[in-house]
Amino acid sequence: MAAFRPRVVIVEDDPDILLVLRINLELAGFDTSLAADGATGLRRIETERPDLVLLDLMLPGLDGWSVLAELGSRQDGPPVVVCSAKHGARDVERAERLGAAGFVTKPFQIDRVIEVALETVQHHPMRGTRSDTEELPEGFPIAGIEPA
Amino acid sequence: MTSTSTSDRIRREARVVGLREFRTPSLEAVERRRLQLWVLMAGLLLAVTAEVVLLSALPERLGASLLRPSVLRTSIILLSVAFTFYAIEKELHLQRLARLLTDERVLTAALTNRLREVSLLLDAGKAMNSVLELPGVLEVILRSATELLEANSGSIMLVDGDELVAASILGNEAARGERLSIGEGIAGRVAATREPLLIDGQADAGMFPGRPDRPPYVESAMSVPLVHRDRLVGVLNVNADRERRFTEYDLRALSLFAEQGAGSIANARLYEGERAHVEELMQLDRMKSDFIDLVSHELRTPISIVLAAAKTAQRPGTEAELPELIEMVERHSLRLAGMVDQLLTAAKLDRGPGSRSFDSVDLAALARVAASEWAVSGVTLQVEANDAVYVCGDPDSLRRILDNLVENATKYGAPPIRVRVASEEGRVLMSVHDRGPGIPPDQRERIFQRFSRLSDHIGKPGLGLGLPIVRGLAAAFGGTVWIGDADEGGTVVCVALPQPVAAEVRR
Repeated sequence: MAAFRPRVVIVEDDPDILLVLRINLELAGFDTSLAADGATGLRRIETERPDLVLLDLMLPGLDGWSVLAELGSRQDGPPVVVCSAKHGARDVERAERLGAAGFVTKPFQIDRVIEVALETVQHHPMRGTRSDTEELPEGFPIAGIEPA
Repeated sequence: MTSTSTSDRIRREARVVGLREFRTPSLEAVERRRLQLWVLMAGLLLAVTAEVVLLSALPERLGASLLRPSVLRTSIILLSVAFTFYAIEKELHLQRLARLLTDERVLTAALTNRLREVSLLLDAGKAMNSVLELPGVLEVILRSATELLEANSGSIMLVDGDELVAASILGNEAARGERLSIGEGIAGRVAATREPLLIDGQADAGMFPGRPDRPPYVESAMSVPLVHRDRLVGVLNVNADRERRFTEYDLRALSLFAEQGAGSIANARLYEGERAHVEELMQLDRMKSDFIDLVSHELRTPISIVLAAAKTAQRPGTEAELPELIEMVERHSLRLAGMVDQLLTAAKLDRGPGSRSFDSVDLAALARVAASEWAVSGVTLQVEANDAVYVCGDPDSLRRILDNLVENATKYGAPPIRVRVASEEGRVLMSVHDRGPGIPPDQRERIFQRFSRLSDHIGKPGLGLGLPIVRGLAAAFGGTVWIGDADEGGTVVCVALPQPVAAEVRR
């Protein structure tokens, strides 16, 4: 097993979703770091320089859109996968315009989230909105998870 | 029909009086003919007179040589009498012909007027029916009526309860928005009697009590009731200035016009009612889709968490998190069960209160029990209540009311949460007070509508059923629910419940 473990910052205000995401992402080979609001999320991203950000849009205080806009304006910002109950075409489009690399709608299937997270760490194009599942990249072990 | 038989008679009379050359004799030709006859008659009488004078002046001898004067006199007199009879007979025919011609003229004029009126009515009817909205219909009616009658101002007043309200105005801005009781003023009198009214000259203020002051230029006015299928719809008024005086004929025309107008108004109302109904149905349809969206989202969220937790728990290497995951499954399953419960309660309330009998319940004791149970899940309730406060209701519903209010306070408000139960002014008042951000006054009624949620609360779980259920349950016991003003900030929801009659209180 490769020593490299990608680091992900999960910004989500629901503690249950946070826990489930943390357990599954760690099993999938990520190092996780958690934030329950936008401001904390930005601080975590600043200090930990993650390879991926999983971002909820409806957050207390600084909301997900603001975090996304802030990260999108940076040259070396990490890829962001938006994970939100907002799922209108306009929301997806807005997220893409602000530089999101993927979009997963809530309520989500946990396997789908892991899959999109893994794909996004490998390459950045907008993913996750497509219903057809692409082949998972070779060489990225997903411990205990069968692809959806 | 009348006109053809009249012209036949005219033609026959014309032949009798010797007017063969005139196909349709004119009144003037008849008069000329009469004059000719009178001149002829006068000439003849003069000639006869002259002859009689001449004969009597002649010497006896000469006359005897021609004719005997007595014979001559008799023949002259007979001749004049015969001619006079002839002239009288002709004169009588000519007079009858003149009368018939006058009748025909009057009839033609009446028919022409009638035709003009009908064609105007037809045009107005077409115009009225081409518009569907009530204000447009009123405007067309009023404009057509003033055109038809060459009036210079007018108004349509519609019945509103036992009042008339000026709904459309033309040329008389002073009357805009005017209200009259039925029976008051000119239009009010017309509405009360349903009789058209013609006023020539200034209206006598004494005859129409309560009549508002009209501008002085109104010299002639008409007011007719708008009646459709025996129902008074309103009153149509038209006014004219000095140049024009209305007649009975105008009043009849306006009454005819009003009949048609009343029908159009009724149709426009029908259309508006239908449109409102369609809009209501569309609104219901939108609400239904919103409801399905909201409910499916609210139900899917805990289901997805339960599924994710269950799936995670099955993965190797998650033994340490197992208790937490199981607790998560339990919590979200309870949340799901709670939502299904709320939906069922709401559906039950929809079917009406049913025939339940209510007990007398000690609300203070119920609140204290609830507080101890909420304490288990970490929510502190400060209960302020006397030893026993009885209300008329059923314990399960009362508990549901309190739980819904406390749940809202924890979800949207902030601690401390105070529950106050007290009897005052013959009723029992229960209030739940939190120190959260509060609810703006203009939103306070809206949140009692099902599935409606404050914009600040979107994103927080909930079906928007809590308060509607509280209100529905309380209403079943004759109670009322409202959002009060909290002096210290936050939100206070008040529930007023009826007290049981003294005999029902069981201790």
